[in-house]
Amino acid sequence: MRVLAGAALLGLWQLAAAAAANASFIPSPGAVWEQFLRLSTTHDGIRGYSGSLLVEHLGISLRRILIGSAIGVAGGLVVGVVLGTVPWIRVVAEPVVTFVRALPPLAYFSLLIIWFGIDETPKLWLLAIAALPPVAVATAAAVHGAPSHLVEAARALGASRRDVIRDVVLPNALPEIFTGVRLAVGIAYSSVVAAETVNGVPGIGGMVRDAQRYLQTDVVVLGLLAIGLSGLLIDALLRVTEKRLIPWRGRS
Amino acid sequence: MSSPLEIGTQAAVHVKDVVHVYGTGTDVVTALGPISLDVPRGSFLVIVGASGCGKSTLLRLIAGFEWPSAGIVRTAGAAPIPGTGAGIVFQQPRLFPWKSVGGNVELALRYAGVPREERARRVPELLERVGLHDVAHRRTWQLSGGQQQRVAIARALAGDDPLLLLDEPFAALDALTRERLQEDLRRVSEQTGRTSVFVTHSVEEAVFLGSRVVVLTSRPGQIALDLAIPLPRTGLEPDELRALPEYAALRATVSHAVRDAAG
Repeated sequence: MRVLAGAALLGLWQLAAAAAANASFIPSPGAVWEQFLRLSTTHDGIRGYSGSLLVEHLGISLRRILIGSAIGVAGGLVVGVVLGTVPWIRVVAEPVVTFVRALPPLAYFSLLIIWFGIDETPKLWLLAIAALPPVAVATAAAVHGAPSHLVEAARALGASRRDVIRDVVLPNALPEIFTGVRLAVGIAYSSVVAAETVNGVPGIGGMVRDAQRYLQTDVVVLGLLAIGLSGLLIDALLRVTEKRLIPWRGRS
Repeated sequence: MSSPLEIGTQAAVHVKDVVHVYGTGTDVVTALGPISLDVPRGSFLVIVGASGCGKSTLLRLIAGFEWPSAGIVRTAGAAPIPGTGAGIVFQQPRLFPWKSVGGNVELALRYAGVPREERARRVPELLERVGLHDVAHRRTWQLSGGQQQRVAIARALAGDDPLLLLDEPFAALDALTRERLQEDLRRVSEQTGRTSVFVTHSVEEAVFLGSRVVVLTSRPGQIALDLAIPLPRTGLEPDELRALPEYAALRATVSHAVRDAAG
């Protein structure tokens, strides 16, 4: 079924490319495939695109996403637990988190460049800031909404305050936290292209941007495909992790 | 026989002139009292009443989850604190789904301060005691409702507390399962010899389980009947027990009192 749909889509793409008859407007699947082969090898003494192979561009972007969202997720967990357990901090800090969450990452990227220059640091900051709010919000809600009947059951068994947080509140929050993490990684993923608009080569977003500048539409499409497919793969990996880590999700 | 003075200080549960109200201002509802009650050690007290008579409130006061608006509640001579001195079984099993069945019992042992090696030994032992075999590794949601409630009882027994408090633990189970759990609970309570306070709205359950039955009036809950159940605690099969003429007479008495008390 999915294979069939994929084949049909490919056919439509081929038809559209033929109809447009302009490779810089809609490149044909064949042209994109050729670019894929060229960017994956050293050709006429040129290595991939701008000196890096396609997988290297992708790898560097993935590395940025990994580090950035790891920092963001860790920060989000801490912020979320504090927001969920200390009422007055929630009152003060929740609007700030909501505010940052509403900002498009590109909007604060300029500020980060002024502060941290144009190398890796502002890119990682951007991804971390983009990834933090969804995790913080999900964690805060889940921690705050700990089911009182289970907390009471733990207290009846002689659990201390710390026991209750470690053995009831946090494990109970885990499914919602994980949803926040998946959201965060998704946002970091879509933000990496923004982060690589400045000095982004090597990097898949930087590659797409450079290709756009030189009207290499087939490279742009190839970059989009690489981003989309690797994104699907990572989300699938997260789902598998979730299943293994939280087998009780949706049960009680 | 102990003197009345001794009962006050030695009773497993001591309730004196207790009144409990909910709400504030004009919305005050008196849920319970005034009520006084002593539960001697080793006895099995069942509190019966229609819903809303404050029987669960009374149990929560004895557990220490709430403090009485007026009066005194003591367990083993001290003000009750949750997690010390009493195992509690709720109407719902309240198991932790992120722990395995054995993990739930193990957690209770850990909170009770049992060392690790001993915990590994006692988990299957406790599960066996409530009639469960080879379930320690299972996930909680893989068990039936009756089995889950058995785990909850095993968990409540883990602390070896002298007092066991049960708040309508079998109300959500089907009739057959309920009967089997009643029989097992009766046996377990005889074996362990601990004091039990059991809340229910079922007359049948009260007469079968209790060595003493207290019937509460509807809100505010007060004692309408305090009846000793002089049935043999051991030596009889459940069916033989239920077939005794005294059993039917006691059931009729309690049933009458419950109907009168509900008004």
